[in-house]
Amino acid sequence: MDWLSAMRLDALAAVDFHWLGLVLELMLMPLIAFVAGLGLVLMLRKIAARLQRRVGPPLLQPLWDIIKLHAKETQTSHGLIHEIGIVMAIGGYVAAVTLLPVPGMNGLAQQGGLIALLYMTMIPSLGLALGVGQCANPNGSIGISRALTAMLAYDVPMVIVIFGVAFHFGSLNLVHMIAAQQAGGVATWGMVQMPLLALAGLFALQGMLGKQPFEIYVAPAEIATGPMVEMGGKFLGGLFVMQCFQLYTGGALYVTLFLGGGEHWLTFLFKVFVVTAIPMTIAMVFPRYRTEDMVRLFWKWPTMIGLLGIAFVMN
Amino acid sequence: MTHIDQVPTPGAPLPVEIGVKAGAARTNPFARVFDELVRFAQSRSLFMLHYCTGCGAVELPPAMTSRFDMERLGIQPMVSPRQADILLITGYVSVKTLKRVILTYEQMNSPKYVIGICSCTVNGGMYWQSYATAKKLNDYMPVDIYIAGCMPRPEAVIEGLRGLIENIRTGRADAWKDYYRRYDYYLGNQQRLFGADWQTSTDVIAEARHYDLFGPATLGAHTALLEQHQRPLEALEMRIEIPELMRRRSRSDQDGTAQ
Ligand code: SF4
Repeated sequence: MDWLSAMRLDALAAVDFHWLGLVLELMLMPLIAFVAGLGLVLMLRKIAARLQRRVGPPLLQPLWDIIKLHAKETQTSHGLIHEIGIVMAIGGYVAAVTLLPVPGMNGLAQQGGLIALLYMTMIPSLGLALGVGQCANPNGSIGISRALTAMLAYDVPMVIVIFGVAFHFGSLNLVHMIAAQQAGGVATWGMVQMPLLALAGLFALQGMLGKQPFEIYVAPAEIATGPMVEMGGKFLGGLFVMQCFQLYTGGALYVTLFLGGGEHWLTFLFKVFVVTAIPMTIAMVFPRYRTEDMVRLFWKWPTMIGLLGIAFVMN
Repeated sequence: MTHIDQVPTPGAPLPVEIGVKAGAARTNPFARVFDELVRFAQSRSLFMLHYCTGCGAVELPPAMTSRFDMERLGIQPMVSPRQADILLITGYVSVKTLKRVILTYEQMNSPKYVIGICSCTVNGGMYWQSYATAKKLNDYMPVDIYIAGCMPRPEAVIEGLRGLIENIRTGRADAWKDYYRRYDYYLGNQQRLFGADWQTSTDVIAEARHYDLFGPATLGAHTALLEQHQRPLEALEMRIEIPELMRRRSRSDQDGTAQ
């Protein structure tokens, strides 16, 4: 019996408790992203209100909306895929957030990298497509076909930008990129080193967040909010949660690539809020493009700017 | 088909139980705190679907935009019944629009609230003698708040909404349960207006059973009539008219105006 207990003790001493920290990070990162996302949603609505000379919603409005939607007493589900679709939509962003290094926490960023992150941000659109497909609402189907077309449009400049940035830093690892930018100060920030790519990236961000000139798949007055048309109660609540993650992921990714990440939380969140405020402000003064116009515009200007940026990066 | 005169007259409305939550009795001591929180969130966040066929609708834009700004009360417009909490009826409902209003109301997720703006929804207003308008909205669906006036000013609209918010916070705004508990009464009034074969795409009786909102007056003479005429609900068939498309394309090819 002695050798058994001795072996057990040995095994216990040899176990590395490193993974506990990782588990904690994996739980904390989405939580922080959600809270920051609530703030971003509030900012979005406040900006809209200010530009229209209104007071706007109170501080905790995004939270009340989500609680209320989940507390609906009757829920209209259209079947299993409808529910799985929503889970996929949120889950894709939760996974993406764990791949985004934030001050003090790297999560899975060392193992993942830019390509995996990009892949994760596409899952929500596909999940939504599945879920909406089962609702069998024509408005929803039109909305989804538009959303996938929009993805086709903004992914071209986005991939060009990602490629250029990866080439510049010589790595696909986000942790390395942040370290390189923070070691050299502002002069080595992606925005200063590759201004053309940063501009194209801002374009792509506007499309990725689905904000106004490119808001073709929501279009409330035209196709009744497209994918959201059959979503009520907890389903819409899930999409509201997804929106929080979406805004945060977009902003944080841009900050990581072009603004040197953050030395600590204060500067990091400040940068994320400033970056996300740009597309929101642009959105509130623009009407909506048509689908084909959006595709044409994305494949022309940001793509051209991005290719030019790559040419500068490469020589 | 049963003739409209053979539809029995609905009886007097039953008293509504107030403040009773759906489902079984709560035993968890934290349930009360939780209910309070939920009610507060529900009162602070209201998505509004406005059915603006009446003339009272012109008072809504000022109530929503920069002058009075409903969003500071947490009220914002939504576009589909599934997403909405409030159904706002602004003014007279004709027999034809009332059908749409009822279809919309039944598709909303509970808790849902109906607000009748304008005197026309209260008692028919100046359309009292019209054969084509429904007089009292709360004969056909439970109404939470009426805002009277021809037409009420935006201040009155905001005041009414504040009243609704207060009712929700204190748990008194549960008229929607009445629609399940006394479905027979509402259905009877609807049948008297639209004919005995009136049927909506929502199975209210099954919903009442599922959500434990079944009352003694859910079933009655009118639901029996409904069952007689009811056609089974089936999913909408979706198909693209390919032959039609092909014909149009070949025609435009012949014209030499291919698009
Ligand atoms: S109450 Fe007056 S303003 Fe309102 S719908 Fe009737 S007639 Fe129009």
